[in-house]
Amino acid sequence: MTQAIQALGVALPVLYALSALFHGVVFAGERSTKIDPLRRNVLNATIAIHFAYFAARAVEIEQFPANDLWTTVSFIAFSTALLYAVIARVTGHSGSGGVALGLVFVLQFLSSSFGSFTPVMRAAGMNPWAITHVSLSAVAAAALALSGVHGALYLLLLREMRRRRFGAWFDHLPDLDMLAKMMRRSALFGFIGLTIGLNVGIGLAHAEKVPGFNYTHPEVLMSLLLWLHFGVIAFSEKIRGFGARRASYAAAGGLVALLLSLLLVLWPNSFHSGL
Amino acid sequence: MDPRTTLTLVGVSHRTAAVGVRERYVVNQEDLAACLSSLQQIDGVAEAFVLSTCNRTEVLVVGPRGVEVSTRLKAQLFRNLPNDHIYSYEDTAAVIHAFRVASGLDSMIVGESEILAQIKRSIDAAESAKALGSTLRALVQQALRVGKRVRTETEVGQGTLSVARVAIDVAQRAFGSLRDERALVIGAGETGVLTAKHLKERGIGALAFANRTLERARVVAAELGASAHGLDELKDLIRQADLVVACIEGQTSSIDATVFDKRAIARRDKPLLVIDLSMPRAVSVDVAKLGANVLVYDLDDLGRVVSENESGRKRAIETADAIVVAELHKFLSLRTYAAFSPAIAVLRERFEKTREDVLDAVAGARSDPRDVQLAHELARRLLDVALDQMKDSARHTSSEEVLDREYHRFLENQ
Repeated sequence: MTQAIQALGVALPVLYALSALFHGVVFAGERSTKIDPLRRNVLNATIAIHFAYFAARAVEIEQFPANDLWTTVSFIAFSTALLYAVIARVTGHSGSGGVALGLVFVLQFLSSSFGSFTPVMRAAGMNPWAITHVSLSAVAAAALALSGVHGALYLLLLREMRRRRFGAWFDHLPDLDMLAKMMRRSALFGFIGLTIGLNVGIGLAHAEKVPGFNYTHPEVLMSLLLWLHFGVIAFSEKIRGFGARRASYAAAGGLVALLLSLLLVLWPNSFHSGL
Repeated sequence: MDPRTTLTLVGVSHRTAAVGVRERYVVNQEDLAACLSSLQQIDGVAEAFVLSTCNRTEVLVVGPRGVEVSTRLKAQLFRNLPNDHIYSYEDTAAVIHAFRVASGLDSMIVGESEILAQIKRSIDAAESAKALGSTLRALVQQALRVGKRVRTETEVGQGTLSVARVAIDVAQRAFGSLRDERALVIGAGETGVLTAKHLKERGIGALAFANRTLERARVVAAELGASAHGLDELKDLIRQADLVVACIEGQTSSIDATVFDKRAIARRDKPLLVIDLSMPRAVSVDVAKLGANVLVYDLDDLGRVVSENESGRKRAIETADAIVVAELHKFLSLRTYAAFSPAIAVLRERFEKTREDVLDAVAGARSDPRDVQLAHELARRLLDVALDQMKDSARHTSSEEVLDREYHRFLENQ
C-alpha cells in the first residue's frame, strides 16, 4: 500500500501541472476540439486519483488521512481543485483554471516534496472534532484561495480593459461580473466554513488544553483576521462604496495573507505541530 | 478602362489615421452636396463621388487622362493633413479599393453591413448633385453588387456585423448577462437605434434614449420599449446607467467629464462602461481619467477587439478576395467594351448605310421584300461577328490571372 501511496503522491504534482498546462494552452488560444475535452478529463481524473490517494492513506492507518500538516496541505490542494471543477461546471467558465490549478500544483508539489508517503496513526486522526476542524478549515482555505484568485483575475481583466488590450485575457477570462460573483461566493463559502472550523478548533484547543494556544498567538490572530477580512469581502456588495474592484483588491491581498497564515501553521514552533 | 479618362481615388481611413484625425475630415450627409459641388469646380474633375463614414472619408473622381487631380483633391478635402495619412489610387487600383470597401473587406470590422447603406446614401447625394456620370455610376453600382455578392456567397459578413454589435459584445465582456444592467443610448439616429435593437436582443434590463430632439427620442423609444429624454437630463441619466453608448452625429465632444459624477463612479460596484460610436467623437478624452471604475472606448478601440479575433475568418476573406477579382475582371472588361461605344455606333451606321446602298444599287425601287430581309439579316449577322470580336478583345485586355496578381500586389502595398 505504501508503494501505491508513494506512486500516487509523486504522480499528483505532475498531473496537476498537466491540468494547469492544458488549461493554459486553451487559454492562450488553442481551443481545439481535442484539447478542450482533454483538459477537463485530465482534471477530473486527477481529482479522482487525489481522492484515491487519501483513501489509500485512510485505509493504511484506518483513520482520517489529513492528520499531519503536509497531508493537510494536500487536502487544501484537493479541495481547491474540486471547488474549481465545481465552479467551472456550474458557471460554464473555465478561464481561471490555469491560475487556480497553478496554485493547486504548488500546494501539492510542496506536500509531495516535504510530506511523508508513510502515513502514521495520530490521536488527532481519531478525534471527530479535530477531523471536523481540519476538514472544514482546509475546505474554507481552498474557497478563500479561489476567492483571492478570482479577485486577482478581476483586477487583471479590468486593467486589460482599461488599457484597451483585447488579447487572451479579454477573450478567455470570465466577464468582470462573473469574476466578481465567483470571488464573493467563494469568499462566502470560505467564511461559513471558517466560522465553523475556527469555532470547533478553538473549542478543541480548550478541551485538549493544547500547549501554546491563546487568542494573541499569531496563528490564531491571523486566522481570526482572515475570517473577518473574507467576511467583509463576502458581504461587500451590501457595503456602500466597497465595489467589486475594491473587494478584488481585498481578496487578492487576502490570498497573500492566507498563504502567510499557512506558513505560520507549518512553522516548526506552531501549536498545530502538535497535531 | 476607357483610355481617355482617369479614375482617381483619394482618402483617409482607419488604416492610415486614428479616430482623432479622421473626425476632423468627416463630411456630414447634409454637407455632401456642397462638397460634391466644390469638387466639380476643380479643373480635371468631370464626375465625383464622396463617401464619408466612421471608417473613412474618401473621394472618387473621373477626369480626362493626363490631368493630375490628386494634389488638388488632397488640398480641397484634407487640408493640413500630412501625406502619410492619405492614400491615393488610380484606375485599376482605385476600382480594387472601391470594391473592397463595398465588400466590407477594408472596414475596421471586416464584413460589417452598414457600409452598403452608407454607399447607397452617398450615391443618392451624388445623383442629386448631378455629380455622377456614366463611369462613376457604373462603378459605384457595380461596387454595391460586389458588396452584396460577398455577403451572400461568403461567411465574411455572417451575423450582420456592425460597430454597434461589437460595442454590445464588449459590454457583455464587462457585465456578462445584460439582464440587470441599465443602458443609456445618446442619439436616436441610425447607429443609436441599431445599438438599442442589439441591446434589446441581448435582454438589457432597462433602456433609455437621450436625444437633442425629444420628439425623435419618443418615437424611437416607443418602438423599442425604452424611455425617452432630452439632453438636459444627461447628468441624471448617466448617474443611473451602467452602460452609456454615444451615437451622436455631427457634434464634437458634447459629453465631457462634467456630466459624470466622479464620486458616484468611485462608489459603483461594477465599472461604468462608456462607448463612443460617434464620428466625430462625442465623448471627451477627460472622461477616461475619471477613475479606475470607468471604461471608455471609441471606434478604433472596437476595431482592435475585432482585429484580434479575425484570424478565424481567414478562409472566408480569401473567398471574398476571389469574388472581388472576378467582379473586377467583369467590370474592367465592360468598361473597355463601353469605351468602344462610339466606334460601335459608327460601325453600325456604316453597315446600315452600306446595306441600303447595296440594295439600291442591285434592286432599286423594285426590290423584293425577301431580298430586303436577306440583306438586313446578312448585315446584322456580320455586325454581330464584328461586335463579338470587339467584346472578346475587351475581355482579354487584362486576364483574371493578371488582375489577381495586381490585386495581391495591391494588398501587399497596403
